[in-house]
This record gives sequence, structure tokens and C-alpha cells, in this order.
Amino acid sequence: MMRTRIGIALAGTAATVLALAGCSGDSSPLPGSTTAAATPGASAAAPAATPDTSCNPRASLRPTGALPQPGHMPAGSYMAKIQAQGRLILGTSQDTLLFSSRNPFTGKVEGFDVDMGRQIAQAIFGDPNKLQIKVIGYDKRVSSAKDGSVDIVADTMTANCARWKDVNFSSIYYEAGQRVLVSKDSPVKSIDDLGGKKVCAASGSTSLDNIAKAKSKPIPVAKASFGDCLVAFQQNEVDAISTDDTILAGMAAQDPYARVVGVPFTQEPYGMAMSKAHPEFTQFVNAVLAKNRENGTWTATYKKWLGAFGAPPAPPVAEYK
Amino acid sequence: MSTALVARPSPGVQVEERGGGLFRRLGSLRHTSPGRLELLLGLLVTLGVLTGLLAGITGAATSAGTSDLGNRAQPLLVEAETIYSALADADTTAAQAFLAGGLEPPALTQRYNDDLERATTAISAAARLTPDGSEGAASVRTLSNGVARYSALVATARADNRQGLPVGSSYLSAASDLNRQTLLPQAQNLFRVAQQGVRDGYTNAASYVWVTLLALLILALAGALLLAQRYLSRATHRTFNVPLVAATALTVLLAIGTLFVLTGQNGHLGRADSAGSTPVAQLAEARILALRERGDEALTLAAHGSGSQYATDFTSAEDQLTKALGNEYFSDDLRAAHQAYLAAHEKVSSLDQGGSYDDAVRLAIGTQTSQTFESVTAGIGSALDGRKAVFNQEIGAAGNGLTLLAVFGPIAALAICVLAGAGIRARLQEYR
Repeated sequence: MMRTRIGIALAGTAATVLALAGCSGDSSPLPGSTTAAATPGASAAAPAATPDTSCNPRASLRPTGALPQPGHMPAGSYMAKIQAQGRLILGTSQDTLLFSSRNPFTGKVEGFDVDMGRQIAQAIFGDPNKLQIKVIGYDKRVSSAKDGSVDIVADTMTANCARWKDVNFSSIYYEAGQRVLVSKDSPVKSIDDLGGKKVCAASGSTSLDNIAKAKSKPIPVAKASFGDCLVAFQQNEVDAISTDDTILAGMAAQDPYARVVGVPFTQEPYGMAMSKAHPEFTQFVNAVLAKNRENGTWTATYKKWLGAFGAPPAPPVAEYK
Repeated sequence: MSTALVARPSPGVQVEERGGGLFRRLGSLRHTSPGRLELLLGLLVTLGVLTGLLAGITGAATSAGTSDLGNRAQPLLVEAETIYSALADADTTAAQAFLAGGLEPPALTQRYNDDLERATTAISAAARLTPDGSEGAASVRTLSNGVARYSALVATARADNRQGLPVGSSYLSAASDLNRQTLLPQAQNLFRVAQQGVRDGYTNAASYVWVTLLALLILALAGALLLAQRYLSRATHRTFNVPLVAATALTVLLAIGTLFVLTGQNGHLGRADSAGSTPVAQLAEARILALRERGDEALTLAAHGSGSQYATDFTSAEDQLTKALGNEYFSDDLRAAHQAYLAAHEKVSSLDQGGSYDDAVRLAIGTQTSQTFESVTAGIGSALDGRKAVFNQEIGAAGNGLTLLAVFGPIAALAICVLAGAGIRARLQEYR
């Protein structure tokens, strides 16, 4: 019931962002937009931040063999260990609406990322509810996966080469891009107009780094979470929030006086992070993702959480090393 | 003031002539019998006047100190504790309402509103009890501004929650940060200032300097009277000088009366401290620690796995509280209630760590755990009320008689002067 309400809210308030969200190829939907002409340098190169090319962050470990039956994980594997502990421990956040946020009506954490975790739990136990949600700070996502305090992290986490050094990522399950959220009456049309302005992002996120790297030199403001950024924005402590379009859409859905502007200026491929100590688990997760891309589960999950933004795109294509 | 009086050479001389002449004339007095009598009279009257003055000052100082202790310092301590416990409870209540999910349970809304009302009432009371420009006044100002911001944040969180917007929980955590990082430390600072104020209050109420000076002067006066009588009986061959005997008796009476009043005050002050202030401070600290435990528990759960700092804080509060509860001011029932709460908390955190988050939340905010915890704070609360009553009673009793000393001390001293004057003038007249 709650979902429908959020859905309705989304359909109404996020109307301005519908055209753009999820499809990075589109141009700005603003009528008579002169953004491109006014600032040719920045908007010509869509991914402004130069990516670390030391690796291909999208390439994960290739799954081997068929998926084991739920409840019958191969002995000695990390999945067998999870099965023995009786639940999958998922590290995520609780304030990213649509991806992983706490439903105020039920008190449960839910969203696209949480469902990704549920699908892994389903594959291990045959029961999507054998999932323990552990809320972790944005700046604890890498370390939590690395030190094993959670089994897997699904938290709007961009797979990049710097993080690949510490953790394994699954194949990409969502393609996001960084944009900007400003107030409705703001003349700002993209990150290029935010020079000298305070722009918020969660500490430990790639978004924060990207703000610092932007040519217009905005002032990055770090908060513990994106929920705290929205609070700061509503209290007029910051002028804008800049992060992945998906997260911004969830914020715009909660604040009718906010809107998401500009074209995505980075590529943020989301992967689930796991410890490097047991690569068989990453392979297993990739096998689950591959299966769910094919059998329509991915599309159904997209529709469930992000359906308000238009028809689901094709699931991201898996790349392997 | 008194030193100026002590320095004054003699009250008998009104007009000061050339500096050296005065002392020379005074010095020459001791060569004749009437001159010696005049000097004696001057000495007795000086001592008598000073004694009267000091009796008045001592009575007034001890009385003012005692009433300041009872009417300002100690009440400020109580208000500071109220501010702390109300704010800590508001924070816990808000976190519990958040944990409950859905609409806030009405009981929690009511409790939060009551907490806020208690806090704001106590803050305005504390504002009246802290002098302008003092450290305490600065804390009170920060508190009263902060509480307004705090309640605005919580109100926004509620409005968002009412509309099903998840950002409500971010407002709640901003409110909680403000409460824990700004308001509670200021309340604790005020509590510390108030504790220092109470300690100073006991020192001021006892007014040791005035009391010592008064005791010395009474001794000197009595000594001077006795010496005067011995001199007169030798010089005049009369065994008794009746007015001087009466003056001596009155001095002894004054000494006994002063001793009686001040010993009484000291005894009551001692009891007010040992059976009132000290236990009140310890009980208040225990209540603060207990509320910290409960708050940490709720925030650990609200953080949903990222609240290890609250869990650590719980352990430190638990250690301190267990140690604090060990002393005589706490009943065995209270210790047992706290152990029962700790057992419940243990269950909550093992459920949480074992992955049964929903069960952990249900147990933590459930009726039984709430009642167990209530019995701890209620037990401390009623013990506090008892100790406050003891303090008020003792401090009231300590104030008794001090006004009498301030009024009758100078009158008695005046009478001693008059009697001494009468006694010596009678002898002086024999030389005219």
C-alpha cells in the first residue's frame, strides 16, 4: 500500500526528471535550454571526471557451472557458511528512497538495493526474508565488505578501480549518473552553474569526489548520509545536492520544491561489494544476477521501485574478466 | 569595613588635631589615674562597638549564605538535573517512537510533550537562578536557544513521518545529534556549575572568617572587662563594680547565645549536606546515567547496525551506574530493578546481533522492558524527592536563630558598652 503512495508521489513530483532519469543519452528537457551553448566546455564532455583506466571496473568474475539448489550450497564455500549462519547480512543505508530506505509506515528498510539482497538470499535459502539488514555509513561500505562485518554491500555503490583494490564487485546491476538537485526557483541548470556554491554529498561517496573535481569549483559539503544532505538542503545550509540521478529522484519525490537539473556528468555503474577472500561468493552472486536478468526478475524489480520514471531499460550487460 | 574600624585608634576622640599631637595627648593620659580610666573606657567601648558590629555582620552573612544555599544554589542543581533528564528522556522517547514505525504511539507523543514542557520550565527557572554573565547563564542561554531548534527539528520529522517521507528519520537524527552533542553537554555543564555553587554555598553559609573574628572579639571584650575590674578593685578598694559585673555577665551570655546559634546552624548545614545535597547529587547523577543507558539502547537500534558508538557508550554508562548504585543512598530494590533492566537489554542486544532486528525492537520498546526501566528511574526519583525534603528541612532549621544573632548581637553589645560606661564613669566622677 505504501509503495503505491510513494509511486503516486513520484509520478507527480518527479515529473520534471522523468525524461532524464536512467537514460544518460538524453539532452536536457528544459524548454529552450541554452545550457549546452552557454557552457560548451563542460557539457560537451559528458563524463567530466576522468575515470581511472587502470582496470575495467565493470568486469567481474565469471560464474562457473550451474547455480546450486537453494538450501544446498557446496560444502566449504562461503555460501555454505552463510547458510549455516541462517541469514545473509546485507550492508546498506536507510535513507536512500527507492534504493534502500526505511519505510516510515512499517519501519522496514526496503528498495531496489534491498531487493537485490533478497534475491541473493532467495538463491541461498530459497527464502528472500532470510536477510539481516545492517545499516552502514557511506564511508564504511568498502571496509564493511572487506572485514566481513557484512556478507555483501548493496548500497548505490559505484564499482570503480580504487575500490576494486579492496573488494570484489558483482557484475553491474544498475547504471546511474551524477546530476544536481536544486530548489525549484533556482536559475542553476547544471553543476557548471554552481561555482562557489555549497554542494552536499555523503562523505565516502564518489559523488563527493566528483563535486570537488568539477571545473566550476563548487564547495563540497560532506554529510554522513544523503538524508542528512536533504535536511541541510531544506534548512538552506547548502545550495544544492549532487549525486546519482537515482538518489536525487528519491529526494525530489520527497520535496516538491526541489528539482533535478542537468545531464548526467559521470557514469556510476552500481555493483554489489564483497570480500576478496572468497571469490566463489562473487561468482555465485554473478550467476544469480545473470539468471535474474534473463528471467525478468531484474525488470520486475526495476518496475516495482523505479517504474514511475518510465519503461524499464534493458538490464546492464554483464562483463567478465 | 571592619578593618577600617579596627584601625581607628579610639572612638572617644572626635576631632583630629595635628597628627602627632593626638597620639601624644593619648599617650600622656596613662600618667594620671583619671587618664587611665578614660583609656580603659575607650578600650571597652571600642571592643563593645566592634563586637556588636561583627555580631550583626556574622548574623547577616550566615543568614544570607544559608538562604542563598537553600533558595538558589541547591534549587539550581535540581533544575539542572531536571533539564538533563527531561532532554535525555525526550531524545529516547523520540527514538522509540521512530522505532515503533507507523504513526507515533499516543503515549510516546504525550511523554515527549511532557518532557519538553519539563525541560523548558526548568530552563526558565534556571535562568532566574543564574547571575547575569556567569558560566551558568551562558549554558542556560545555549539551552533555551537549542531547545527551540530541537523541537522544530522533531516537529519537521513528525510532519514528514505523517506524510510517509523517509527524510523524517534524517530530521530525527539531526535533532538527536543536536540534543546529544549540544544540549546534554550544556545541561551537564550547568549541573557541574550548580554543584560548585552548592559547595561554595556551604562555605558562604558557614562564614568562617566572620565567625572567627567575632569569637576573637568576644574573648577580647570579656578579657578586657575582667582586666578592667581587676584594675578598679585594686585602685579603688571596691571588690565589685556592679555595672561592669553585669556587662561581663552579658558578654558571657552573648558568647553562649552566639555559640548556640552557630553550632546549631553548623549541625543543620552538615546534615543538609550529608543527608541532602550529597545524596541528591549522587541520585541525580545515577538518573542521568540510567537515562543514558536507555537512550543508547534506542539509538543503537535506530542506527540499525551502524550504532556501535552507542553500544560502547551504553557499556560505559552501565559500568558507572553499577558503581554508583553500590553506595548507601540506593536501595536493594533499585539495584535489583537495574539488574533486571540490564538483563532485558542483554536480550535485546543478543536478538539484534543474532539478526532478529524486529524482535529486538519489539522487546526494547515493549511494555515489559519499559516498565522495568521505569521502575529504575521511578525508584531514583522517589529517593531524590525524599532527599530534597530532608535538605529543605535542614536548611530551614539552619536558618533559625541567625536573624536573632544579627538583631540581638548588636543590642547586647550596645548594652555592654552602656554598662561599661556607667561603671567607669562612676569612678571617673570621683576625680571631679
